[in-house]
Amino acid sequence: MAQKVEKWYPGEGKLTPGWTIIYILLMLGFVAACARLYLGLGATTNLSDGYPWGLWVSFDILAGVALAGGGFTMAAAIYIFNLKKFEPLLRPAKLSAFLGYLMFIIGLFFDLGQPWRIWHPMVMWNPHSVLFEVSWCVMLYTAVLAIDLFIIGLERYGKESWVRFFRDIYLVLVVAGIMLSTLHQSSLGALYLLLPEKMSNLWATQALGPLFFTSAVIGGMSVVILESLISARAYKRQPEMDILPDFAKGLGIALLVYFAMKVTDLYARGVSVWVWDKAHFFFFLELLGTVALPALLLVYQKVRQSTTGLFWAAGLSAFGVVLNRFNVSLTSYGGYRSFSYFPSIIEIILTAALVALGIVIFDLGRKLLPIYKSELSGQSR
Amino acid sequence: MSKAVLIDTTKCIGCRACQVACKSWNDLKGKKATFSETWSNPRFLSSYDYNRIIFREISHPDGRLDWYFIARRCLHCHDPACASACPVGALVKMPEGPVVYDDVKCIGCRYCMMACPFQIPKFEWESAVPLIRKCTFCADRLAEGLTPSCVATCPTGTLLFGERPALLKEAHRRIGAAPQRYYPQVYGEKTAGGTSSLYLTAVSFEELGLNHRGFRTDLGDVPQGLYGREWMSKVPYVGVAVGALAVGLHYFHQRRAEVQAEERKED
Ligand code: SF4
Ligand code: SF4
Repeated sequence: MAQKVEKWYPGEGKLTPGWTIIYILLMLGFVAACARLYLGLGATTNLSDGYPWGLWVSFDILAGVALAGGGFTMAAAIYIFNLKKFEPLLRPAKLSAFLGYLMFIIGLFFDLGQPWRIWHPMVMWNPHSVLFEVSWCVMLYTAVLAIDLFIIGLERYGKESWVRFFRDIYLVLVVAGIMLSTLHQSSLGALYLLLPEKMSNLWATQALGPLFFTSAVIGGMSVVILESLISARAYKRQPEMDILPDFAKGLGIALLVYFAMKVTDLYARGVSVWVWDKAHFFFFLELLGTVALPALLLVYQKVRQSTTGLFWAAGLSAFGVVLNRFNVSLTSYGGYRSFSYFPSIIEIILTAALVALGIVIFDLGRKLLPIYKSELSGQSR
Repeated sequence: MSKAVLIDTTKCIGCRACQVACKSWNDLKGKKATFSETWSNPRFLSSYDYNRIIFREISHPDGRLDWYFIARRCLHCHDPACASACPVGALVKMPEGPVVYDDVKCIGCRYCMMACPFQIPKFEWESAVPLIRKCTFCADRLAEGLTPSCVATCPTGTLLFGERPALLKEAHRRIGAAPQRYYPQVYGEKTAGGTSSLYLTAVSFEELGLNHRGFRTDLGDVPQGLYGREWMSKVPYVGVAVGALAVGLHYFHQRRAEVQAEERKED
């Protein structure tokens, strides 16, 4: 059963430095959000006609969704490939995936010039637009994740007949989630298919869709590992070291596949990589430092068996996914323009506050819902 | 029928009457001007400058200097990337030629700005709830049977308004009649799938140094929006395939697990 909720806000009783920072960030974020809404994008961000998309698109939207890929990856592993032993990792993955999409939606809300029209794609259709498809898939998938959490909630409050009903139709939810995720994770890359002439050819490829999809699987898997390790530390639990090494093997394979895809793509397009400039620095950092290196690390059983080793390997590959999104959306684009862009303080604060909000909600979710194995009563879904 | 404007830059004297006419017809705010190192003013298109004249001074190898004046504005593509990008269909190509924008639909995502290969759509950055702004081809004037405001104002005949095929014929006639005067290509005839603003220039856009400043010459004849549309045409199939595969694999693995469990029991 879920433990009793004796605190009404996270960190109550003992205000640790960590929680203090989080609450300060949330307060600053609130002020920044008000400023953004009241004063407008031009006044509060460093975006311009030269750089219409900035930090919020790169981080809140592209990176956030990729890191939230754990939800569908775990669901596929467990329900489609029947790898039942990874089940203890499923619920935390669902919770963090839901938070990732929540971040996406809040981030998008502040990024839109007309935030109050965020619902327009629901009724105003342009089926030719990749962004239209992304908005629909994200919307539906967030709904799927919300239903998922709702079922977990029902379980906690012992609504058995309801839970049974949902279990009967559960496969529909799983398959819908996988379908929607495959589509929008790859389509986020396909957004950039329209502007090859504005991008460095290190990243401008027709294969952006499949590459984004694969790296979203990597992002999701790394976050699942990181989440298990970090929350074990934070909540004084044992990390799932009985299954994590096997799971990390999967991550290693995904990294290798991704590496092969990237190299094949570069080779097929005949891109000259042996140049030394800023774009190439980030390119090599991404390809060697955050794809090849963690893949190599994970080859060693010693690394897979140790929490520190896992932490570094998963941390690097998660960072690599974020770096890739920044590279595609900013580094690549920056090489083409004579303008420059660096996010304003408000953009940075709002992004940091979103992350802080994610942590707070995760903590609440953990307290309110039976998320971890030890809390599961009998059979689980 | 599809209208177009032929811009014969060799006739332009850089008087910028069209800039002024555009501002006054569209009721766009002005800004205090300053000198700029390029003589062009304003320096960039913006949400209140839909049209501007670029001044280029080109020195030829034989020591001659030449001035060229190039009007910059929306090209009103036949198959606009901006319209393929917009998630809510706020940008539309009208059969009459103009690519128009719907203030009421736009959510301000700025994907059109990213997608337009000519970097035309601009955002009202000063506003708290900004919208996209760009040349409208004076669609409101066309509806009244008038010509675009810039065309009506131009004193030198640089801007010629008419049916696109007729204008193309005229452009090629001019090139044929005075080959020494023109670069032998009409920019916009095929560029990015064809546009409704057609350019005649004395030298190529590379030579003008503008091919990376709005007048891309490396786009080919493909409309950029096609890449997105091709992707979207695959989406339903990918969706169905992934769904079917997921269901199939689920039952396959479930069955296999059951069989294995039974075998174990029998042992
Ligand atoms: S030039 Fe740009 S804004 Fe104008 S129609 Fe073409 S794609 Fe759209
Ligand atoms: S900013 Fe407006 S017009 Fe441009 S793509 Fe987004 S919704 Fe469409």
